[in-house]
Amino acid sequence: MKMQAQFDFEAAPGLPGSDAISRVHYAVIRSLTRRLWRFTIDGVENVPTAGPALICPNHLSFCDSVFVPAALPRRCWAIGKAEYMDSWKTRHLFPALGMIPVDRSGGKRSAAALDAAAEVLDDGRLFMIYPEGTRSRSGNLHKGRTGAARLAIRCDAPIIPVGLIGTPEIQPPDQFTMSPFKDVTVSFGEPIRAGDFGSPADPRIHRTMIDAVMFEIARLSGQTYVDTYAGKKDDAREEVASRPMPPDQQVSVPPTKPVGRTGGPTRPKGRPAVELSEAPELAPGD
Amino acid sequence: MIDDHDATHVALIEDDVVLTYGELRDRVASARARLAAAGVGAGDTVVLGAGNEIGFVVASFAALGLGARPAPINPYAPPAEVRRKIEPLGGAVMVIGEVAPHLLADDEGYGLPVITTNDLSGAGDAPAIIEVGAEEPAFLLSTSGVSGKPKVAVLTHGGMAWVQQSVIGDGPEQLTADDIALGVLPVAHVLGLNLALLATLRAGGAVVLQRRFDSATSLELIRRHRITMVVGAPPMWHRWAVSEESSDAMASVRFARSGAAALRPATVDRLERVYGVRIKQGYGLTETSAVVTTGRGFDAPVTSVGRALPGVEMVVVDDDGAPVDIGDVGEVVVRTPGCFAGYLGDPESTEMVLTEDGWLWTGDLGVLDDDGFLHLVDRVKDIVIVSGFNVYPAEVEDVLMHFPGVRAAVVVGRAHGVTGETVVAHVSGDVDEAELDAWARSQLASYKCPTSYLRVDDVPETSTGKQLRRELKS
Repeated sequence: MKMQAQFDFEAAPGLPGSDAISRVHYAVIRSLTRRLWRFTIDGVENVPTAGPALICPNHLSFCDSVFVPAALPRRCWAIGKAEYMDSWKTRHLFPALGMIPVDRSGGKRSAAALDAAAEVLDDGRLFMIYPEGTRSRSGNLHKGRTGAARLAIRCDAPIIPVGLIGTPEIQPPDQFTMSPFKDVTVSFGEPIRAGDFGSPADPRIHRTMIDAVMFEIARLSGQTYVDTYAGKKDDAREEVASRPMPPDQQVSVPPTKPVGRTGGPTRPKGRPAVELSEAPELAPGD
Repeated sequence: MIDDHDATHVALIEDDVVLTYGELRDRVASARARLAAAGVGAGDTVVLGAGNEIGFVVASFAALGLGARPAPINPYAPPAEVRRKIEPLGGAVMVIGEVAPHLLADDEGYGLPVITTNDLSGAGDAPAIIEVGAEEPAFLLSTSGVSGKPKVAVLTHGGMAWVQQSVIGDGPEQLTADDIALGVLPVAHVLGLNLALLATLRAGGAVVLQRRFDSATSLELIRRHRITMVVGAPPMWHRWAVSEESSDAMASVRFARSGAAALRPATVDRLERVYGVRIKQGYGLTETSAVVTTGRGFDAPVTSVGRALPGVEMVVVDDDGAPVDIGDVGEVVVRTPGCFAGYLGDPESTEMVLTEDGWLWTGDLGVLDDDGFLHLVDRVKDIVIVSGFNVYPAEVEDVLMHFPGVRAAVVVGRAHGVTGETVVAHVSGDVDEAELDAWARSQLASYKCPTSYLRVDDVPETSTGKQLRRELKS
């Protein structure tokens, strides 16, 4: 472990996981991560010791949502499915890790999640969000959703890019348990601020900012970046249908594609067809 | 379009020549007789090698009245280029204006009969005006187009008229017969043709024609004729912004519009400070008969090109046609009554951009904000992909242009063995390359920074100030 910062439990009475049981759970989790795995933490000095910030890691494994909070010097919060609160296995553990349950049914799920995130940041706390939206099944780093940049601008909070290495080996997809005694590294990059990308009123900086975040995550994690969203096509159709459109820009029927574009001859050189993806997924939700 | 207006009302002004609507109609009728005598009939193409001059307007309306299709070309192009341009048009006759004596002087000819604008008077009664349907072709306009290769866009009577009427609008910002427009944008370009010239004439207003842009002369014309509508391209607005003219030069202007390319926010602010005019930016293409979005009627953000015109459907999509998130970058796709009928004799190119149900894939990248304002990013085909990351040349160019001494900057991609592509900047101006590179690195993520700088004297541009990146791609 390169750096072991002093941990601040940071009680937040208005947020989940601030009770005595959660404090004990959190301490146990932090301790176990350091005893059961060869846990390396880099760049923790980049995490602000006070005030709001978005923690944006790559997402390869379910256990990412354990190792990132365990590596931080402060508590952080994230959005998770409300169903976790129905299970005895996760009812106490996940709030201790900072999960805010959000009902994700219906068409407004993304907006509800972002509103909940904004409340955390406006309260001066850390909030974790996976910019890829969901786990990468390919192992590549996928295109970032702009939600994190929108949050950063809305709440005037920096984004801390985070690179995780080793978590798929600890808990591969579809494995319920975490295999011990393996290497895991969490690297925190320097804060990225919206003000460095132009006027916050210019919506074009959302993409510019999140691309800069993904570039840093790629550097920290060593992953290959691909300019497609992570996720499955079937999930995406529902999400696209529920995605809000600006006023006056509603279209009666989605546009069709020119027949001459079959096979993608007019796509930019080297640019693969974009995969549709599922709803923006916040930690620790999937 | 011009037949119902007051015969005594001024329609066109060029230097000391003032033409009323009555006089214009007489000249058009006479020209109709002349073109008919030259064999022009319904469905024929009349090539117009004329500029921003009265003869262009007369010849255009005369051809339209015969059911023919005016096809403006750049009259300042050399004869050899003109021959190449007119070949696919299949013209019946070519009309050459006063601005293009070099075209007349060429001995090789153009393979079709040539008439000058000074010889547009025909003997005898003018043939009756042929009524044509809204779907019928009107103007044929050359364009590098959505997919980059030179083509001829077929604009329809109905599509052009719909855009003109949209530009006229209603309410307090309606364009009326009392308005006077500056006609300085090239009439061979859709913005100069359909917005500055034809929309004004449809409204019954007057157009002051200026053959070639000159900042001081334009401002003098605006002041002398109390011009109320100025439609300019960004280079023109920039020149006016930095001119030494007095601040009351645009006191009469109530419509200040910019299109064809993005206008820098600093220029918008300076024009408002110096002249008290607030530029309204719009967006459109030759293929949409000029306009699909407008900033008119809104307090649009300075970085935006406004909202879709009423009646236009617009959405920003990914490669599969799915709408992207608000605030994310995608291709601008529109369905508009102003849409063109296709590219002349080029169904393959048409199918690349236009669907059977009328969606036009513009090839422009943009972002829609929460209020429905469109913010343009770049062209799809100009994206440079470095290690999988998209680099938008316009963003890099904007950073380079903010460095003191840089006159122009054009960024293109070049193949790279490791990263796929790399960013190359062509820069003109008196700058130290190391200092410029340090500036770029302080402003841009490392993958967006140019890996080489090539010094050029000038960057190629279109007549309306769009930089031609494709000519610098290696």
